[in-house]
Amino acid sequence: MPKNLVRIGIFELTGCAGDALLILDCEDELINIFRAASIDAFLMAKSDNSEGPLDVALVEGSVSTEKELHELQQIREKAKVLVAIGGCACHGGIQSNFLDPEVWRENLKNVYGDVKMVHAVPLQAKPIDAFVKVDYYLPGCPIGREQFLFTLARMLNGSPPELFRFPVCMECKWHENDCLLNKNILCLGPLTAAGCGAVCINHNLPCVGCWGPYEEANRTAEYALLIEKGFSPDLIRQKMANFSGVKIAEFLSRAKGDPA
Amino acid sequence: MKTIVLDHIARIEGNGGVVATIDGNIVTDVKFLVNEGPRLIERLVIGKTPEEDVNLVPRICAICTVSHKYAAIRAMEKALEVKVGPKVKLLRELMHLGEMVESHSLHVFYLALPDYTGFPNAIAMASKFGFEVRIALEMKEFGNRIMKTLAGRYIHGENPVIGGFGKLPDRKELAWIKSRAAQFAPFVHTTVKLFCELDYPDIPEAETLYACCNPPDNKYGFVGDEIILSNGDRLDVEDYKKLTGEFIVSHSFCKRSRYKGKPYSVGALARVNCLGERLEGGARTMYKKYFNPRWTRNPLLNTAAQALELLYSFERIPQVISQLIDLPDEPVVAATKQKGKGTGAVEAPRGTLFHSYEITKGRVSQADIITPTAQNAEDIERYCHIAAQKILETGQEEGIRDRMDLVIRSFDPCVSCSVHAVQVRTAPDGEWKTKLRELQTTGRLMLVGLGSDGHSDDGVGLSLARRMKTSGAGDVWLETELEGRPDVMSGHDQTIVFLDALDFGAAPGKITLLSLQQAAWNSVLSHKLLPLVGRLFDPAALNNAFFLGIQPKSVSEGGKISEPVAGAMEEVLKEWTH
Repeated sequence: MPKNLVRIGIFELTGCAGDALLILDCEDELINIFRAASIDAFLMAKSDNSEGPLDVALVEGSVSTEKELHELQQIREKAKVLVAIGGCACHGGIQSNFLDPEVWRENLKNVYGDVKMVHAVPLQAKPIDAFVKVDYYLPGCPIGREQFLFTLARMLNGSPPELFRFPVCMECKWHENDCLLNKNILCLGPLTAAGCGAVCINHNLPCVGCWGPYEEANRTAEYALLIEKGFSPDLIRQKMANFSGVKIAEFLSRAKGDPA
Repeated sequence: MKTIVLDHIARIEGNGGVVATIDGNIVTDVKFLVNEGPRLIERLVIGKTPEEDVNLVPRICAICTVSHKYAAIRAMEKALEVKVGPKVKLLRELMHLGEMVESHSLHVFYLALPDYTGFPNAIAMASKFGFEVRIALEMKEFGNRIMKTLAGRYIHGENPVIGGFGKLPDRKELAWIKSRAAQFAPFVHTTVKLFCELDYPDIPEAETLYACCNPPDNKYGFVGDEIILSNGDRLDVEDYKKLTGEFIVSHSFCKRSRYKGKPYSVGALARVNCLGERLEGGARTMYKKYFNPRWTRNPLLNTAAQALELLYSFERIPQVISQLIDLPDEPVVAATKQKGKGTGAVEAPRGTLFHSYEITKGRVSQADIITPTAQNAEDIERYCHIAAQKILETGQEEGIRDRMDLVIRSFDPCVSCSVHAVQVRTAPDGEWKTKLRELQTTGRLMLVGLGSDGHSDDGVGLSLARRMKTSGAGDVWLETELEGRPDVMSGHDQTIVFLDALDFGAAPGKITLLSLQQAAWNSVLSHKLLPLVGRLFDPAALNNAFFLGIQPKSVSEGGKISEPVAGAMEEVLKEWTH
């Protein structure tokens, strides 16, 4: 067994476990990765999990209980590099849709009534960077295989990962799709971070924004365009908010002319 | 008192835990915890369009993503009266079979098999079961490929939409899937043999009720507009609440379900129990060969049932493709209605999944989602309790943890959609006080003293009840007073607490309090209570009953109540009147 293996831990907070599952699904490539890395902790895949120090921690899911917050803080302490993987860890996920704490509390009560939870104290869902320093972000719902392997390979070689700094539209053009906006279909491609390969548009369906907001998007122009096409500002905001978690507020604040 | 904690159950989909509390030689309580935080999915879809709902809800769970999508689409199409054609129906079945193959092969080989072969994980297992691990990987990849073809990507694909598919798969890909399925045939038969012949322990075994979707035309399958139960009951899926009767427990963000007050199980084992006779072809041959009465009461056999369903799926995939490949393409059927109500049910790999919606003015106004693991939670706890108690009685306490782990894993729980894993704890001293106080706050309590006078400490229940009566402590009865008084027990709105001596291997005078719902299969307790049930009590009354036991020093004939037990009696009285 080669020495100096990079010690990796994969952790799941509240979410759908889709990012961990996707990693599990990269078996062919993982066999190569095992030559350079040792998976020291991965609860979904193994029962002999180490609690020792790590070189890289990949964290999936939002922080949704006090216990998870404590776990996250411990992971941060033992890991040299912490990577947020997936929409829930990066943006808070669909469960962070209720931005107002009062509204969240009301909805929590609506589901669980007055039963006081004895095993875990619920917290309003937040992305992990609300509590700890995050070194890199891998967005996606779930993360993309190529982007994940690309990021991991760079980290294993000691280089900082580079993410795709372009919107879904770029990947869509590579696939030579007709632009759905030209057909008056509300597509979020221009506002959404790339990495999925424009999979929905390849299937004749509009982008639903599941990779979360693309930071450098020309929001002002996109808004003007969508409104010109007759979509209601409410619906645009609602659709954009679905997968943007807590980051929607900041994202929208940077769109001039946002009617809301 | 002691606790076994399986805080994180490794090798399950997501993050769950079980806490078992041991007091002497009695398991007083088992709790299946859902450590994942609340996600409030049913609330956050309110106000969304039906299309957005169908985008959002599969995010409940990555491994059941296709089932969630499918159930939501079925519900929406019912609510909005969208009718799809035969090709779309068959393509959906194919997509769902892909998920079944992927999820079952992952569970049986990677998550369950290491338990029976003594390896910590599938990678370590590869040294001895290299061939199985390799083929399992290929099976799983094949399932993924089907899902990717139909859903657009393997996790959270958006191609299935209300009214059809964004893009229909091409003929060449379908032909490839069909021929690839056939290549697996010999190995799938070996898989069924391997998992049906595994040495499944007979702890825990207990009867339960099984439920699943009733597929149309008397066929085996994974969708239906009716629910069928192993006792013969049938329900329209719109009446799903009669099955699930959801309630909340304070130790989990996963809601609970009971049918007519009884826990029930869903999943592959439930389907084989309810529908096994409908299997055809090779799956039928294997069913006839391996199905036996143990399959009706041992949850560990769920793994064998999943293997059988792998065979069913591999036989069904080529049939589905043959039926659909020459059908004309069907464009997406647009919904024209803006209003309606509908419930969609599908069998997720781990059991029945319900999505129910109400649409008002084109937006979701009501949403209810009931996941298989939520329905299984009660039986997971019950079987863990039985396992822990039985193993404790054989004196192998150190084996409890592993066995509970095995039980939980056999249910293949998907803790994202419900729940985290196992903990065994010793009940701290005086825990009974906290529990008793909780009971006092929950409503009307009826106390019943059991036992017999004149047998030293065996009379403690009766003496305690008499003392309580004189102190005017409410609704207190002696066992003997209940003879011929069915009126006392009519209406089961009260909580019953039995008071009695209980030998649980602790120091004399030690007190424990436990729920009978969970502990009734404890051999000491059942020996005490069985003669009363049916004669004095409707068994249903025990659903909300507790047992306050005091460890006797001696139960020999003619003796007096011993000093430590008398002290315990004073302690209970003090606490009661507190």
